[in-house]
Amino acid sequence: MAHEKIQTENMFLHYGSKLALNDISIQIPEKKVTAFIGPSGCGKSTFLRSLNRMNDLIDGVKIEGKILIDGINIYDNNIDVVTLRKKVGMVFQKSNPFAKSIYENVAYGPRINGVKDKKQLDEIIETALQNAAIWTEVKDRLGDSAMGLSGGQQQRLCIARTLAVNPEIVLMDEPASALDPLSTSKIEELIVQLKEKYTIVIVTHNMQQAARISDLTAFFYLGELIEFDKTKKIFTNPEKKQTEDYITGRFG
Amino acid sequence: METYRIFDSELEKLSQKVIQMCSQVNQQINDSLTALKDNDLKLAKKVVENDKEINTLDVKIDRLCQKIFALQQPVARDLRYILSALKINNDLERVGDHAVNIAKRIAPLEDYRQLVTDLGVDQVSAEISSLFSDVLDLVKTHDLEYCQKIYHHSATVKEGCRAIAERILNEMMEKSEVVIVASNILIIVNLIERIASYSNNIAESITFVVDGEIVKHRKNIQ
Repeated sequence: MAHEKIQTENMFLHYGSKLALNDISIQIPEKKVTAFIGPSGCGKSTFLRSLNRMNDLIDGVKIEGKILIDGINIYDNNIDVVTLRKKVGMVFQKSNPFAKSIYENVAYGPRINGVKDKKQLDEIIETALQNAAIWTEVKDRLGDSAMGLSGGQQQRLCIARTLAVNPEIVLMDEPASALDPLSTSKIEELIVQLKEKYTIVIVTHNMQQAARISDLTAFFYLGELIEFDKTKKIFTNPEKKQTEDYITGRFG
Repeated sequence: METYRIFDSELEKLSQKVIQMCSQVNQQINDSLTALKDNDLKLAKKVVENDKEINTLDVKIDRLCQKIFALQQPVARDLRYILSALKINNDLERVGDHAVNIAKRIAPLEDYRQLVTDLGVDQVSAEISSLFSDVLDLVKTHDLEYCQKIYHHSATVKEGCRAIAERILNEMMEKSEVVIVASNILIIVNLIERIASYSNNIAESITFVVDGEIVKHRKNIQ
């Protein structure tokens, strides 16, 4: 079994008085793609956002239990959230490039982290763009505005921006749901390549996408983790009837 | 909360067609064996002619499965059901062919009815008929209770067929004049044995649908 990169133990999350996540214990292995599926409002995105403390930004959120990354509780008092988010990057549903050049979009993170040398920055940017499978499409127009790229390219640029700060985990919240099938397939291909270097956790409403790209699948329902197993098992012979009913479209 | 799925009507259609296929094949086996027992060449001819309908149904089931795969992307039990429907359909089509092959060998045996009975063919015929009616019930109900019955019964049929084959070989060695007719009986008995094997396959496929367990190639099935 691969090293457990992320581990939660009896984790509960409340939005005010509403219980959004109920006793979640899960172990997510390193350098694999883990997909979270479940109907809207089941808690999968809330859970994803807890993994780099994005929920800290929302008022009234209370978290109990442990969320460990490499064995360290990320909700401990001495944790620096900025360092955490550098290690645990995130890609969102809607691509959100800065209104700057392609180069500056990717350079932003490394610059904040103190990289000043132009040559070093160029290298980081080229590697990030290559890892995000967009280098050949943009290498001759790095100075152009990122806003001129297509939706699929913008999303890959955002992935490059995430990779530029050298994270270990990449969280993706429906990264391909606003894209056409061709761009979707590029993103999917990219995700599968990325797991060689990174641990990927992806939330998706597209079950076939989860089936295609993930190694493990977690099914959430009404704030609970119903079933977590190898994707192959979940999509051929799940243990729980609720999982079966959801993935075969009998409810949800 | 259950939701209506367009998918369900397609699955229901597939299920009905598989049951229909199984029921028609069952009829073919019964007719073919009755024709053998009663020396009924007219019935034997009917079996040969009816094969066309089974072949048509075979293609329809294949196409329906193909359509469901392409358009519905089935998973979990739905996926297992459609995979199995394809295999069961294939097995049933072969069983149908075997019924026809038996029917085609009845005419040469016309004057040797007594030999057929003496060799014990009537008994394995009755057993395979009863076995296949269990297969039909299994396909209709997906009740795995039938599987053990089928495995057990199929073993008995195979044993019976092998014993007959041995008797036929002895008969051939002793009386050279029966060699041609005895070869025909030998082929019929082999076909009956094959039908028993296909029955096992179908039971294994239904087990896969219900349990997700692949039980084929497992030794010592009780």
